[in-house]
Amino acid sequence: MLNPTITEILLSLMQVSYITLIVLVVSAICGLILGTILTIIVVKKIPVLKQITVTFSSFTRSVPIIIQLFIVFYALPPVIESMGFSTTYITATVASIVALSLYHGGYLVEVFRAAYRALDKGQHEAADSMGYTPIQKFRRITLPQTIPVALPGWGNALIHLIHDTSLVFALGVVDIMGRGQLIAASSYGMNQVKIFLIIAAIYIVLTFLSDAIIRFFEKKNKKFKLDSGLNTKGA
Amino acid sequence: MLEFKNLKLSFGNKKVLKGVDLNVNKGDVVTFIGPSGTGKTTILKCVNYLVEPNEGNMHLADMSVDFKKINKKDILSLRRKTAMVFQQFNLFKNKTVVENVMDAQIVVHNKSKSEAYEKSMELLDKVGMCDKENEYPSKLSGGQQQRVSIARALAVNPEIVLFDEPTSALDPELVNDVLSVIEKVAKTGVTILLVTHEMDFARKISNKVVFMENGYVVEEGSPEQIFENSQNERTKQFLSKFYLKEAVSAK
Repeated sequence: MLNPTITEILLSLMQVSYITLIVLVVSAICGLILGTILTIIVVKKIPVLKQITVTFSSFTRSVPIIIQLFIVFYALPPVIESMGFSTTYITATVASIVALSLYHGGYLVEVFRAAYRALDKGQHEAADSMGYTPIQKFRRITLPQTIPVALPGWGNALIHLIHDTSLVFALGVVDIMGRGQLIAASSYGMNQVKIFLIIAAIYIVLTFLSDAIIRFFEKKNKKFKLDSGLNTKGA
Repeated sequence: MLEFKNLKLSFGNKKVLKGVDLNVNKGDVVTFIGPSGTGKTTILKCVNYLVEPNEGNMHLADMSVDFKKINKKDILSLRRKTAMVFQQFNLFKNKTVVENVMDAQIVVHNKSKSEAYEKSMELLDKVGMCDKENEYPSKLSGGQQQRVSIARALAVNPEIVLFDEPTSALDPELVNDVLSVIEKVAKTGVTILLVTHEMDFARKISNKVVFMENGYVVEEGSPEQIFENSQNERTKQFLSKFYLKEAVSAK
């Protein structure tokens, strides 16, 4: 493809778009699960684990994601091998998903922790005073009030994650960004602007989609107004 | 009905309760008065273990606990025998008025939805909040929220209701609404512990008044005894400041 048309570029990118989507969706889900577990560790103040979590979260938020990708892909396999396990399953794609999940999870801890804190102590006391078990309290009181507060921050974290998937080609994963680089290289770098604008458009669509999902959940959750100054509008 | 022996509690280095003994009979309305920060609210929160006493024994209905050896099961069953009305109302903000009253009945006491609803509406009627059943707490005034929270407390058929300064966060205009609801509750014969700074009300409603200071019970007795014939210097001094009517008539 020396001089590909826009349609040709788009088609070629679409062929690998599933890689981008898999990396994105799997990391988003694993990150969400990880973030939730770590948040529980932090707010329940579980000794030792809490200190580890805080260190981990601060690490994922302060080290550039590209370096985190390199660490997981290049530094982790030798460590695992030295413990006597095989590392052949750690392909570039797997390493990307692991690194992005850890990054997303570490970021979400801060978002969720702040949302959890927004619930006043009084409601905890009220539920406790009536004999709710911790799980009943979490399901019926804490979680329904934490979600609306966490949604905007979570939406932002998702957008960060979407953008950061464009870095996995640095490990050799042929996602849309990787394929774009290849197309550009095959035409001696002549079509770079065109290609990257098309990739930008794809990311815009992805971001809009993720925004729309978050908005949908925000709407579903705005029937009650929180009194904390973080009012969901319209109520 | 309720008995405390040698109840001690400290928050860090600060000793809040320094050995409190107390005896409450079934149907008693006991009011705690005294300066701020003397442990009145803390005593109430010991009953349902919202604070953790360091030592002491408690009898409540058919249960006795040693606070040094209390376990999670004891804590839950203590809490299921009691209900609390808070200074800041503490209604669940994600639930409507009627859902607030229903929730514990369904979750904690395994009642059916329709049964819980019926009981809730009956109680909301008693506190005059029937017409607001589908509002969220954020749309209600403080006095209305407090009335709902009283209905919520009564909904679980508690052996004892703990009122923690129920009118301290309200406009003066709304205080009377809430007080008259509490008075109605007292007349139903349920055991009540009440912390309040409304001296007239305390005198009118209770059959036992406890004056506390610095983590000790200084004096306890009938309202007449405390408000009119107190033999204790400190009680007299406190009441002369807070209970102006008495002070004026004493002169």
